[in-house]
Amino acid sequence: MDFDDTPDEAAFRSHVRSVLEQHADELVHVAPGEQSPDPARHEADFRRTERVLAENGLVGVTWPREHGGQGGTLVQQAIVAQELSRARIPALINHIGLGMCGPTVIAHGSDDQKSRYLARLLRADDVWCQLFSEPASGSDLAALRTSAVRDGEDWIVNGQKVWTTLAHVADYGILLTRTDPSRPKHAGLTMFVVDMHAPGVTVRPLRQMAGGAGFNEVFFDDVRIPDAERLGEPGEGWRVALTTLMNERVTIGGAGTDLGLSPEVLAAHARGRLPSLTPEQQALARQAVGRAVAAALATRYTGYRRFTVLSQGGIPGPEASAGKLGGTTAAKLIADAGVRLLGDEAVYAATADGDDTWQKTQAYLPGLAIAGGTDQVLRNILGERVLGLPPEPRTDKTAPFSGGAGRLSGRVDGSES
Amino acid sequence: MNFDLDQDQRDAAAGAKEFFTEQASPGAARQALEGAGPVRPGRKALADIGFLGITVPESAGGGGGSLLDLAVVAEQGGAVLAGPSLVTAARAAVLLADQPELAAQLADGSAAFAVVDGSPDGSAPSIDAADATTFLALDGTALVVGEGEATPGKPMDATRGLANVRLTSRRVLVEDAGELWARARLAGAVVLAAEDLGAADRAVALGVAYAKEREAFGRPIGSYQAVKHMLVDAWAGVEQLRSLVWWAAWAADAAPEEFPLAAAAAKATAASALERAAETLIQVHGGIGFTWEHDAHLFWRRAKVDRFLLGDEAEHLDAVARLAVAGALG
Ligand SMILES: Cc1cc2nc3c(=O)[nH]c(=O)nc-3n(C[C@H](O)[C@H](O)[C@H](O)COP(=O)(O)OP(=O)(O)OC[C@H]3O[C@@H](n4cnc5c(N)ncnc54)[C@H](O)[C@@H]3O)c2cc1C
Repeated sequence: MDFDDTPDEAAFRSHVRSVLEQHADELVHVAPGEQSPDPARHEADFRRTERVLAENGLVGVTWPREHGGQGGTLVQQAIVAQELSRARIPALINHIGLGMCGPTVIAHGSDDQKSRYLARLLRADDVWCQLFSEPASGSDLAALRTSAVRDGEDWIVNGQKVWTTLAHVADYGILLTRTDPSRPKHAGLTMFVVDMHAPGVTVRPLRQMAGGAGFNEVFFDDVRIPDAERLGEPGEGWRVALTTLMNERVTIGGAGTDLGLSPEVLAAHARGRLPSLTPEQQALARQAVGRAVAAALATRYTGYRRFTVLSQGGIPGPEASAGKLGGTTAAKLIADAGVRLLGDEAVYAATADGDDTWQKTQAYLPGLAIAGGTDQVLRNILGERVLGLPPEPRTDKTAPFSGGAGRLSGRVDGSES
Repeated sequence: MNFDLDQDQRDAAAGAKEFFTEQASPGAARQALEGAGPVRPGRKALADIGFLGITVPESAGGGGGSLLDLAVVAEQGGAVLAGPSLVTAARAAVLLADQPELAAQLADGSAAFAVVDGSPDGSAPSIDAADATTFLALDGTALVVGEGEATPGKPMDATRGLANVRLTSRRVLVEDAGELWARARLAGAVVLAAEDLGAADRAVALGVAYAKEREAFGRPIGSYQAVKHMLVDAWAGVEQLRSLVWWAAWAADAAPEEFPLAAAAAKATAASALERAAETLIQVHGGIGFTWEHDAHLFWRRAKVDRFLLGDEAEHLDAVARLAVAGALG
């Protein structure tokens, strides 16, 4: 047992480090303990950062070379992720495109789609979003109602998506629609690539509980999508979506990187704040800090065990979902301990000197326990696929999706009752 | 990165599993609790197979292995609630590092050791003390060895051999032993966490098996989320504990600067992970889980006792925080 890189991994890591140092001036950075800046407000900087990284082979590490990737290993990708976080470079603006949309296009797109989209995606010439969730279908994704109706060489799309991360800066999206409501809910779906600048697409930012606006509602009003933009066969959309969802589970929390602020940042914060608390407060705060650090380290070292599996050529399985579950919990404990250390100022949204790092992190974490599969849905996956427990009975699997049929013709939005 | 056991350790774990499954069981732990049988496998069997000397140097007749080697074996003992605890072997081996004769007696089982906590003139409840003949204790700042009188209380978990001890003779082994004592206690804490890991892992497996089999309202209870999610949380806790136990045991020999924090994190996490696994096991079994005949309460007893031994969760969380604040995380 050791935590050392193999010689190959070490060589790759030092290559990554030297690229990041060499191009430091062109890359977005955050200060220790600082939140990632809003990609929407710093869009140009974020796009440039990703382009520079792509030009140096650090984006799309595992993608095939023919699509502009590096044909590298999952370990190399994990090393890049670790080094980006070590260099305090925030999540890439195209993280949804890279983690979910691109792999879906690679697996199910036509040659023409691959050549038009993938290289540009890697360079963030185009930013992508994932248009799956709807007001009435999140966890139960296959219950979606947004319709696509064939019209000559085009499809005409009507409906509404919601909570679409980055839609307000996105150029393209992968869009899951219902094309045959007479079939059971999983069978009548079709996936498309949609141009987010096409006529009839309206994006409205939604303000999140933390105050920022990272996700949106997206309305489709008679939007025309050429048939050439279909991903996979008509009616095969669920199979295509599963590719996206599997990649999503590995992308979020699969590699053992911290999902919120790190235990090191919490420890430094505690070092500064503990002396200003009363002895009783200190004792209680240390319990909170100790619990958070232990949980974060347990999650980190469990990630290292998965990393080891990758090092030896294995692939991440359903147990990757436990990484997100553990990471979300640890991140919350860290943020809560960080806030507790603020003493009386803990109840304000920022301290007297204007610092809101801890409060803001605290307010961003509930979303993590929902996005990309809620904690409950992840527990279902772990229980059934890892522990082998029986699935829940499902009555909706075989019945035609008639419930939504009447509504499919009109626009479906949040005001509908 | 290679954060995994090596083939030798896997083999050792498989061998230990076979040994412990033959020699001990929760059923034997229940008999011991009823005063109807000895704690199994007992010191002699553990000495004969070499488990008491895994970390004792080869020159003193031991296996010359690492704390991680011992931890993977201890996990298997934990799975069947074996006794006496390898915690005592781990801790005594550290304390006796410069005492080859005594270390040899530890390894071959010719002396029955216990390490006593608290005052040697009236100790705190100490593990494996009930049937020990040779006691190691901290007297002021000196490490002493001697004979003593052990007074067992009514056991919550008979496999732990808990007793209060009063030394009746003592000989100084090391004058200034504060640091050595602390390191030995941490090694013991890691092995305790490893035994808890084994017990928790088994408790989850028993719960999962029952949840697949038992039906209520026309379907297996494991298909109900209230049951499924409880088991998943217990399982996730076990996996997290496993990572900390391996890291801490590895650090003892390979990264001493990380050892105190890693050991404290492992011990604190073990306390809650085993408690949750054992309580989940009882709950998943419903009424049967609350009977004397079912094994569930034996895992629960381990959890309720182990959480207090060698420092409770609060003490170790405090240590994690103090060490992290002092810069141990870099
Ligand atoms: C920050 C953020 C970013 C997001 N980004 C995107 C994006 O880019 N693209 C996109 O398409 N979507 C996105 N989403 C949407 C996200 O995927 C959904 O919110 C999520 O899948 C849950 O769906 P829902 O909101 O409809 O909740 P619901 O499915 O209505 O769930 C409500 C509650 O019921 C529980 N529940 C539902 N089904 C089950 C079940 N089978 N068993 C047990 N409990 C259940 C849930 O756990 C939850 O507690 C984002 C969400 C957030 C918070």
